[in-house]
Amino acid sequence: MNKKKKSNRLRILSWLLVICGLYFVFFPNKYTSSSFFDFFKGEPVGTDESINLDAFSRIPVLRGGRVKPIDSVARNTLLVLRNKRTAIDSNGSDVPAVKWLADLLFAPERADSLKTFLIDHDQVLGLIGKKLAKDGKYFSYLDLEPFVEEIEKSAQEAGRLERENRNYFHQNIIELYHGLVLYRNLKTTLTPPPHAPSSAVHDHSRLSPLFYNSETDGARSDEYQRFRNLTSDLANNPEKVRMGNNEAMGPLMYFIDYYARYNLYAEFFPLPPEMGESGGKWRKIGESLVGTEPLDSKEKAKIEPARFISTVQALVASPDEELPNQIKSIRQNLKMDPTALFAAQYAEAIKLRKGVDPIIENYEQLESAYRAGDAQTFNETVQNIREEINQRAGAEISTIAFEKTYNGYEPFYRSSIGYLWIFLIACASWLISVYLKPGDGQSGAARTLLNCAYLLTGLVLIAHTFGLAGRMYIEGRPPVTNLYSSALFISWGAVVLCFLTEKFLRLGIASAMGSLIGFGGLVVAHNLSIDSSLNPSGDTMEMMRAVLDSNFWLATHVVTITIGYSTTFLAGFLGIAYVFSMLFRKLTRSKKKGKDLDRTLVSMIFGITCFSLFFSLVGTVLGGIWADQSWGRFWGWDAKENGALLIVIWNAIILHARWAGIAKVRGLSALAIFGNVVTAWSYFGTNMLGVGLHSYGFMDKAFVPLMAFIGSQVAIIGLAYLPAFFSLLFKKSSKPA
Amino acid sequence: MPEKPKKSISSLSERRKRFAWLIPFANLRITLTLLSFSMILIFVATLEQVRIGIRGAQAEFFESMYGIWYYPTQFWGGEYFDSIPIPIPGGYLLGGLLILNLLAAFITRFQWTGKKMGIQFIHLGIIMLLVGQLATQAMQEESRMQINKGESKNYLERFHGVELAFIDVTDAQTERVVALPEALLEQGGLHYSEDLPFKVRVLDFGPNCEFNSLPPASKAKGPTEGVNRGVIQSANLEIRPKPEDFSSEGMNFGYVVFELLEGAESLGTWAAISHPAGNHWWAQINPKMGDLAFQPIRMNGRLWGATLRPEREYLPYSIELLGIANEFYQGTDIPFNFESEIVLNMEKNESRRALVYMNTPLRHEGKTFYQYQMNKSADYTVFQVVRNPSWLVPYIACILVSIGLLWQFSFHLVRFLNKNSGANRAAA
Repeated sequence: MNKKKKSNRLRILSWLLVICGLYFVFFPNKYTSSSFFDFFKGEPVGTDESINLDAFSRIPVLRGGRVKPIDSVARNTLLVLRNKRTAIDSNGSDVPAVKWLADLLFAPERADSLKTFLIDHDQVLGLIGKKLAKDGKYFSYLDLEPFVEEIEKSAQEAGRLERENRNYFHQNIIELYHGLVLYRNLKTTLTPPPHAPSSAVHDHSRLSPLFYNSETDGARSDEYQRFRNLTSDLANNPEKVRMGNNEAMGPLMYFIDYYARYNLYAEFFPLPPEMGESGGKWRKIGESLVGTEPLDSKEKAKIEPARFISTVQALVASPDEELPNQIKSIRQNLKMDPTALFAAQYAEAIKLRKGVDPIIENYEQLESAYRAGDAQTFNETVQNIREEINQRAGAEISTIAFEKTYNGYEPFYRSSIGYLWIFLIACASWLISVYLKPGDGQSGAARTLLNCAYLLTGLVLIAHTFGLAGRMYIEGRPPVTNLYSSALFISWGAVVLCFLTEKFLRLGIASAMGSLIGFGGLVVAHNLSIDSSLNPSGDTMEMMRAVLDSNFWLATHVVTITIGYSTTFLAGFLGIAYVFSMLFRKLTRSKKKGKDLDRTLVSMIFGITCFSLFFSLVGTVLGGIWADQSWGRFWGWDAKENGALLIVIWNAIILHARWAGIAKVRGLSALAIFGNVVTAWSYFGTNMLGVGLHSYGFMDKAFVPLMAFIGSQVAIIGLAYLPAFFSLLFKKSSKPA
Repeated sequence: MPEKPKKSISSLSERRKRFAWLIPFANLRITLTLLSFSMILIFVATLEQVRIGIRGAQAEFFESMYGIWYYPTQFWGGEYFDSIPIPIPGGYLLGGLLILNLLAAFITRFQWTGKKMGIQFIHLGIIMLLVGQLATQAMQEESRMQINKGESKNYLERFHGVELAFIDVTDAQTERVVALPEALLEQGGLHYSEDLPFKVRVLDFGPNCEFNSLPPASKAKGPTEGVNRGVIQSANLEIRPKPEDFSSEGMNFGYVVFELLEGAESLGTWAAISHPAGNHWWAQINPKMGDLAFQPIRMNGRLWGATLRPEREYLPYSIELLGIANEFYQGTDIPFNFESEIVLNMEKNESRRALVYMNTPLRHEGKTFYQYQMNKSADYTVFQVVRNPSWLVPYIACILVSIGLLWQFSFHLVRFLNKNSGANRAAA
């Protein structure tokens, strides 16, 4: 009776756990705004009463070479600034990323008081007169504003040092400075910086009537319109482009210079290509008015004034159809001639750039509506902007809606928490099987929990798989494109293998170790995503460098080599499982099932090492073929290549040691655990050397965690031999007696 | 059925009898030892790349019988251990021994049966990979070819290695070039050629040096002490030899001091330095040194020029650069394309256009041209040119290993499925 009751209670508990898991994997919670089913639903319909930030967050813009929803820009920049995807207001409650960005773009004085910057280095805090214990580690722009100059000075001093010679203070101050620049650039993306014509060069009385005047002008685009009137007058009367015509040329030069410089202070590209424009370049506001400067601004000093003016005039005077070709020809053939290049930019600004983009005006309406809290105008204008972009941008924006929901679903956050739970449940099942007395229904109870862990693994795996598939869909790439996604994929591969193993061998070991690697891998991935030296834009879906831009090799070489890492780690973690279960048995002096368990573990480690050897060998060889195709050598002794070779050799050593009968149960486990060290070295360590073709970034921050990991693995290998060591001591001391 | 394994065993035992002396070499423990040493070698050589560069580490550790490693000073306890030389078995030693060990295992240990055939293929493939890598390291040549837009080139330049070239430019139409390759310069001594009106005595040569211009009054010491002709004398340059820098950014200024003789009579002593980026750079550094690209020597009414330059290889065809493209993702500094548009002018007046870009090199007559560097504003492109006669070997090796792995895996799979279905039947 009692037995039955207990196992019933457990059964109910495990079903509850599975239901919780179902809910957690598919439904929204405090930290994740979208549910799994949002992907299949349309966009939520907003009301006229409240500002619809969800619709606003779906506006496509271009940042980091990729068209993405504003939502991603908001989340990614906050990730860089605060390592979180939210800001904090003065009451200490979270502000969603998109609300923060709307404030920053349209009502910056509100955003300036939100806590946006993470500063946790004591020396940097000292610089701004704060203490970690008293003031916390999150600060608003207002907190930092008085110290901006000092921060800039220190950061520039730190920047002059060689990378290897920078200490933590230098790194942190540089990061903070980059964060401030990013913040200010976001602020001025839609709003140009203030006018400041130098009185030595410019005639202020001629310029100021053209400047935006908040009292007489409805919007800033009135100023843009006045500039357009000026250029269309010159376009129609090319003879006015001449020296001495200060009335037109003075303001023209000032505005072209000013708008071109404005490009440097804009963080993303809000304007899609113009209708029917081939090539499809997105533009910043300054760019849409005057194009971009062809060379560094310093090169302007080399312009020959007379030839410059005559070139501009000749270009402006040429017929509309020919001008684009003439400009193109200058840009291709006169690369060393600043006079001609700047003349081409002027001609483009005067004649080719026409009108003021309606989206600029729309964004200004958005600003005034947002500030006034006019929900109806705001929502309508958002709708207008999106329709205009939809018409102009073409296929580039097909994944925007998906990406917005994907951002809110946070598949990897869900999965990491899920894996942690699975690990705890699997551990609980072992404790039950050890501490419940035999015949107390223990096998049944433990088994119930194991089944529960197995089912939960399957559920969490859905979220994890969906996360990877979503990235592939958004990027149009194979799953592994950078270090971040390799960590996602390694953990995924290990969990899949464990799930399959657990299907046949319901011991809980595979569940526990799989979830442990899953959790660890996702934590590593998260830390990679917030490392601003590796991921300066905060976007983990960055563009691929030219040499990597080959989906075929990414899909074959990179994926196989990553599965190789994954399986080697799995074998190593199974080795760790052996060491701890062996120690546990020795400590509790329990003899039961020891031999069976050992045999199972050994065959699992052995089988998975076979997989590892296969994937790492095939992956390395494919890498060699890629290198032969791209660089003309199959093997170049590059640091990462050598790392991959070390894994191959180590796996071969493990297998041959087993075949030779040199390594038995403990030996095999110890070898497999050392495989973790080898893999960690070739995965992360080689990147830290900063040499060779595969060094994607100097990762000094990862050095301490890597050393800690290697140290822990060596310690576990030591533990494996501890009982043998003690028994040796014991024997020796007992002999004379 | 029982006859089959018997047969193979008997053939193996026969082999073991005939090659009994090989059995100790085929020991699996030897394999494990060699593999462990390989791990140490690869790890140490990777670390050393930070200090001496990839080429340096390759020469010291992989292309040698043994290398000497000094414990890095930056490591824990480095200040005490960094002076102890630690010998590390080199690539040639370990590679050779592994090949021997594998061959011995093939003869005395491997069963040549269907069941184990996969293993034979895998190890045969690995032998080929090892042999192929040894062959590649011995035979592969790497050079570069820099072309300006609109121009055409018909020679390659070595990344490492210089030559002392004498160029007869008396005729405006043709140039005659006589070059002394680095091997002869290193050897030193007196060299003569029918095509040269003088004999060349190499007095000093080094792969890298530092140099500075002394004030007119002071006298240069070191290798250029005896120089009495040419640019080095007129610019009063002093040279201090330096070891060759193997790192990837290494700039090696090779130098040579030579005396020209007509019969037994000395015409004078010259010296020359080569600029790693091309001798046309000398004029930019110092107008006085511009002539290092061409030090004039008049002889019997003909004008010769002497220069020390990267070793060249002339090709029977030429490559003309039409244009380059270097594109970036919008709003980033991440490049997504480096591309050179070229015309390949071959013998017999044949020509074809080609695009050379990332992952897509140009292959012609055993040489492969890869997009290597590019300068958009100065409009030139640099190809890395590789000749590797053994390039096919790793491909064949890979096919062998793949067949082997597939064979072995399918064998296991079939056995596993048979066992499972057998178990199911038993359970039923």
